[in-house]
Formats: sequence, structure tokens, C-alpha cells
Amino acid sequence: MCIRDRINAEYMGILYLITNMLRVARNTILSMLKSQARSVTWKNMDTYYKYDFTNKMDFIDHKMRFPVFRTMDLEGKVENPAYEIANKETLMKILDIMVTHREMDKVYLSLHRQGRITFYMTTLFEEAIGPAIAAALKKDDLAVMQYREQGFLMHRGYNTLELLHTYKGTNKDNTLGRALVYHQAHRERCILPGSAPIGSKIPHGAGAGYALRVKGEDKIAVAFFGEGSASQGDFHAGVNFAATLGAQTLFVCRTNGYAISTSMEEQYAGDGIAPRGIGYGIPALKVDGCDPLALYYATVQARKMIMERKGPVLLETMSYRGGDHSTSDSSGAYRTKEVIAKHKAYTDQLGDPIIRLGKYMQHKGWLDNATDYVTKLGESVRAGCLENAKEVDATPFPHWKKMLVDIYNEEPWHIKEQQEELEAHLKKHPECYPLDSFKQWSSSIQRIHNIQK
Amino acid sequence: TGINAEYMGIQSIKRMLKMLGSKFSRGIIQNFLRTTTGRCFSHGPPPLQMDFSEKVNTNEIKLKDPTKMKKMNICQAVNNALDIALASDSNTFVFGEDVKFGGVFRCTVGLNEKHGTDRVFNTPLSEQGIIGFSVGLAAAGGIPIPEIQFSDYIFPAFDQFVNEAAKYRYRTNGQFHAGGITCRASYGAVGHGGHYHSQAPEASFMHAAGLSIVIPRNPIQTKGLLLSSIRTPDPIIFFEPKILYRMSEDMVPEEDYTIPIGKAEVLQEGKDITLLGYGASIRQLKMAAKMGEEKGISSEIIDLRTILPYDIETIEKSVKKTGRLLITHEGPVTSGVGAEISAKVQERCFLHMHAPIKRVCGYDTPFPFVYEPFYLPNRFKLFDAMLELMEFQIQNHLTIHSYPVSYTHLTLPTSDLVQISVVAVSLKKK
Repeated sequence: MCIRDRINAEYMGILYLITNMLRVARNTILSMLKSQARSVTWKNMDTYYKYDFTNKMDFIDHKMRFPVFRTMDLEGKVENPAYEIANKETLMKILDIMVTHREMDKVYLSLHRQGRITFYMTTLFEEAIGPAIAAALKKDDLAVMQYREQGFLMHRGYNTLELLHTYKGTNKDNTLGRALVYHQAHRERCILPGSAPIGSKIPHGAGAGYALRVKGEDKIAVAFFGEGSASQGDFHAGVNFAATLGAQTLFVCRTNGYAISTSMEEQYAGDGIAPRGIGYGIPALKVDGCDPLALYYATVQARKMIMERKGPVLLETMSYRGGDHSTSDSSGAYRTKEVIAKHKAYTDQLGDPIIRLGKYMQHKGWLDNATDYVTKLGESVRAGCLENAKEVDATPFPHWKKMLVDIYNEEPWHIKEQQEELEAHLKKHPECYPLDSFKQWSSSIQRIHNIQK
Repeated sequence: TGINAEYMGIQSIKRMLKMLGSKFSRGIIQNFLRTTTGRCFSHGPPPLQMDFSEKVNTNEIKLKDPTKMKKMNICQAVNNALDIALASDSNTFVFGEDVKFGGVFRCTVGLNEKHGTDRVFNTPLSEQGIIGFSVGLAAAGGIPIPEIQFSDYIFPAFDQFVNEAAKYRYRTNGQFHAGGITCRASYGAVGHGGHYHSQAPEASFMHAAGLSIVIPRNPIQTKGLLLSSIRTPDPIIFFEPKILYRMSEDMVPEEDYTIPIGKAEVLQEGKDITLLGYGASIRQLKMAAKMGEEKGISSEIIDLRTILPYDIETIEKSVKKTGRLLITHEGPVTSGVGAEISAKVQERCFLHMHAPIKRVCGYDTPFPFVYEPFYLPNRFKLFDAMLELMEFQIQNHLTIHSYPVSYTHLTLPTSDLVQISVVAVSLKKK
């Protein structure tokens, strides 16, 4: 090679080296920026690595007592006007839903006693929690529920007829009667599906909240559960993941005194669920679950906090399960007259959310006579529910073929084989199966294909 | 302990010899191992000298640039596949215990530096949390690729898999699905794993309708199947045979390619017996087939690849050709994957069988520690079973019934069957 070629080669070499160094530098800076993308604002590194030593040994054994936040007393009087952020419309809607829910419970419970639906769960005295929290959240906040939050669904758009269709599992139920009742799922209303294993939804709330944070969305995920669910391993896993990884999730624990027959003193030894937030490093609050205004205010503040800190918040609503756990439970077996008498002080301190909100609305002048309003609304709801019952009785179930689809994205051969087997069997023995109720294709509810990926 | 010190000594000598660049180092090391460390390293006799590396199956994998290949082991193939998945879709997340620094098997090395801590991160130590979190992530539209460090620890997540992930699409009528989930778990025997580092739990998950299970055998398959699993909208558990993480090396295409889920692969054609397995068992099958070749047995080897839903068509076609089926897997034999496949194959190929279906699998014990050489289905057990199936003659097993035997399904595809029917008819007349 001549000298000129050698110099050229050297220049090319140096150029290559420089561009390489620049590329490496750019990659390093980018990766540094990326690893700072998570703004871990709530994590103070000193708590992990800097210790406060003491010469005085003192086991920390506080008899921890979280106070319970409420805005209005049992007579509906609000002392601090700063908490009155809910306007008339919001509270009217909450009141309407509470009354509707209570009347609906009465009618549908009697439907179960008549054998027209197979299962039902009432929400007596807990009606405020669902609608108040739904009112404080946005319409597209992802919600995952347990089972006693039907009021939340009603606030999101379910009416009593739609709910009865889901309880019966007719072909107008948008999950086509596949799962047990209370496992509603609705994509437009941002309702993630429920399921019976207790507590398994809590990590789902954490995962959904994480996805929302990473995508930078102005939405949160809310996960409902009861004080019994908070004993599950999934509670610990879910809340710890949300707190450590940073998930925009609101955890709402509906402490209502019972997990079927297990009372609170048999469920935990501490001061309930909210104080556990201290252990997970997240803010927590106990709020009066029969005070819709307090629930609304607390949820609004909680949502603000979640969006600011990019981390979860734990809310514990104190309420009372007025009815049985479900229609398969007869709480008289464990909630005897003596127990009810013993708990009178407990239930009296909470009162009835409908009465309290009605009185508040009366004080504000938004209702002339709360009792009248509630009674009238109750009557119309009752009439409507009885009509619904007739309509749903006449609605057929989904087509039996819907049993064998949607297990996989595309049905594999073994499910196709089972479909054919069942079809052949039904052709041979049509009289042995209730084919008449299961032969209608629903035109309104269609499978939504491949919305994600 | 003494054993550890010996091991460390051997490793340092290996390194020294490598540095010296000695051509004879491998021989020296092997001799050294055989003579001095027989008591702690002999897991049976040394393997048959066989080359298990494979070429890309061009019938299945259409490559845009077949020249760009790189020598990778399964670890590196997984890393490559995850890198491609993370780069091609900003909705993917890779997480699990110790994933951030690269993983205990070094499968996720470099991913956190490249894609950031929001997408490649460590989770707290909770398998039920990892999978529960993944279900929520998938429901919110993400594509989570969680890692379970050892499949022995997957059981706390069993509820989340079986009750939640598997049923999500069904119970929501397709409105939501947890199909974004592709859970990677290291699985199978590793030589010294014992109860809790060697399990093969795929059969437990096979029973959950809605899940899919995929198990690759080498790096080419790993990369293609993993990319395919990530892009399939069904929840998939991807079991990686940990003993092959470094042992199995191939020239793997550097580009993005997929291998179809739900399809088995015929590795070699044969006419006498069908050998069915997956994962690390394929090596044992290949060795057993070679031993069988010396005896004149022509074996057809099938790699199942997708355990659920499994490819019955390929198996059926093969068994109808050969008439004999030998299934092997590391997991316990009772109610294992082989049990389900045996039942299905006998349903479809009953009249074509020359011998009953045989399963050579792990025993029904917790995976033992020092007894591993006796526990695993190795090439000797497989070879014995092959001979047994080949030597099975149906007339040696016929008993003479005193009541008339009727045949309603007589079809006569093979000569053996004609023989049987003639014999039976003559018995009846008697």
C-alpha cells in the first residue's frame, strides 16, 4: 500500500473509533435516562440503608389505633365545610343508586327464594361504598371487584335489568352465563372480571396499575376486597408489588365484620387492614363506610395522591354486613340474637347510609323530605324489578355451543373434537337436555375478537 | 466441604488449561475427571459421542437472511428472543426474581441496561405475586413475560394460572384475555438438583383448560418458539430445560423468526417404532435410536414441542405407519403427559398397534438427589423398552376364550391383522 492509502486507512480508522465512542456514549446516556424513568418519589433510600441506633431497647408493640374518618354524623350534619366537595348531582346519583340497590336486593332475594335465580348476595348497609367510590373516580379507571360492590357497577352504567340478566346468565348477559354470578366483566365500562377465589384479584389490581403508570395514563386501577381477603397471601403479594414497583392502584378493603361466619376477631389480631399500609410504606386511611360524603372525599384525595406519588394507596371502609353472606348462608346460625345485641353499639355507631345521606340532602335543601323521596323511589324500583323478573324469566339462555368456545384464542383440535362429540350426542338424545332454553344465538352480545395483540 | 473444594480445583485447572490453549486440554480434563472424581461426578457412564447440534429446518422457518447466524446456547437464544420482543413491541415487560442483573441463569443479561427499569425489573420474592401481577398487566393491555426461577416454585402461582389466567378469556366472553402472558420457567433435571431444582410439572398444568405449554429442545427451537409464544394471545408457560441452557449449542439465525405453536416436529423418519419426547429427553431418544439402529430398528423420532394443545395429527400419522409408540418424559409416569397421549393415541390408532403403548418416564417419587442416575429415563431404559415393543408378538399373548368373540370393527389394513382374524375365527369355530 502506498503512503496515501495508509494515511486514508488511518483516518478511516480514527473516524470509526470516534463514531464508535459517540455511539457508546449515547447508549450509556440513554440507558441512564431510562433507568431514571421511574420516578421513585416515595422511596427514601435512607430507610433502607441508614439506621437510627438506640441504647434503649423498646419492643415496638403499639396498640395501634387508626381513627376512622367521617364527615357527617348520624344525623347528616357536616361540621367541616371543607369536606363538602360533592355537588347535588353527584350525591343524588349516589342516593338513587343506594336506594335502587336496596330495593333490588329485596326483590331479587325473593326471586331466589322462589327458585327463579340460583344465587344472590345482598349488600345491606354497604350500599354506599360502591357508588361513592365510583363517583370519585373517572369513568375509565379500571376496576376489579369482589362481589359486594354491585353499586359500583350501577354507577358505571348497569341498570337493574342488566344486572338480573347477569345473575341469571341469560343470553343477554355479556359474559354469556359462563361464570357464576357477580363475575361481571365489561370492556367499555372498564370492569375487569371477578372470580370466586378470594383475594386473587388484588395482584391483578397491582399489575393493571403498573401498566397504567408505565404508559403514563391518567387512569388508576382500583381493587376491592374484604377484610377476610386481606388474610390471603395474594393480598400481601399484590400490595407489596404495587408499593415496591410503583403501581397506580387504589386498594379498597370493605371491612364489614364478617367473612361468612368468621368475625373480625377471628380474622386478624392487629388494628385491621389500614395499619398494614405502614408496613408496605404506603398511605392508608380508615373511612366510615356508611358515610357517602366521606367516601367520596377520601377517594378523591386518594386518587390525587396516587397520581402524584405514582404509587398505591390503601383505603379501609368500616361498615357492617347487614344481611347473610349469600343465599347459601343462614347467618342466624352464627349471628344469634345475643350476638346482635352485643354488637348493637358497633352497628349503631355506623347507622344507615341511606338515612344519613337523605338527612344531609335535607339539611342542604336539596330534598324536601328525604323519607318520602326514598319511599317513592323505592316503590318505582320495586315495580321495575318485578317487571325485570318477568322479562328475564322469558329470556332464554345462550346457545349451548357457547360453552365450548373462547377457551383459547383459536379453538384447538381437541376442543373442536369435543364440540362435535357433544353435537352428535345431542342429536341422538335431544329429549334428555333442556335444548329449548339453550338454542338462541344472542344477536346483541357477540364475541369481541382480538382486541389486544 | 471436600467435594466443593475438588470441584473448585477442577474448575481452576480447566481455566488454566483453556488459557494455555492446549489442544489436548479436553482429553486431559476428561481423563482427570474420570480418574479422580468418579465418586462425585459419575452420573452413569459417559454419554454416547453424538453431535446434537441441528440445522435450521427450512420447511418450517423461512429466513430472510440465512447467512446471518450466530453460535448460541439456549441461554443466549432466550436473551436474543427477549431482546427482539422488547425492541419490537413497547408493550412487553420482562420481570421476575433477579431478572434485572441478568438472571440466575444469565438469560436476561443486558436487557435492563438496554430497555430500562420500567420494562425489565426485579419483583419482590413472591411467585403468586409475579403471576397475579402479570394477569393484571395483561388485562390492562400489556404483554408480560414473567420468569419463575425454578419450575419447582411455580406452585404458589398455580391458582393464578389455573383459576385466573386460564379462564380469563372464557369468563369474559372474549372481552378481556390474559393471553399476553408468556411465563418462562427453568425446568427439568440438572444433575444435582434434588426435589426442588429438578421438577417437571407440565402435567399439572395440562389439566387446566385455557393454558398452553411449550417446551423447546435446542436454541433454534427456543428462540422461535419463545417469540411465537410471546405473540400468541393465549397464556403460555414456556418451560426451558435448564440442563441444556449451556450444553445445547447451535448456529441460530440472528433475525426475528417464529416457529408455530401446536405443531410437533418429526426429527427423523423411521418405519418400525415411533419415539415421542420433548425437551432434554430428545437427546436420550436420539441416543437410544442410534443404539436401536445397530440392532436394525428404524425409529421415527418426534419432538412434541407444544404439550398443550399437542399435535395429535403428527403422532397419529406416525403411529399408524409404525404401529409402536414409546413415550418418554422426565416427570412422574402416573398421570403424566404420556398418560394423556397414550389414551388419545389408543383411541385413534387401536387397530394399527402392533404392541401396547409404552411410557418410560420418571418414577412416582419426589425427584431424588443422589439417585438421579437411577431415576431419569435414560437411553438404556429407552433401548430396553424399544426391544420389548419390537419383540412383542400378539399371538404370544392371546388367550383362548370360551365365549364367542365378535368383531364389529374389522378393517384389514395390515397383514398382521389378517393373521389375527384368521386365528380368532378358527378359535370361534372350535
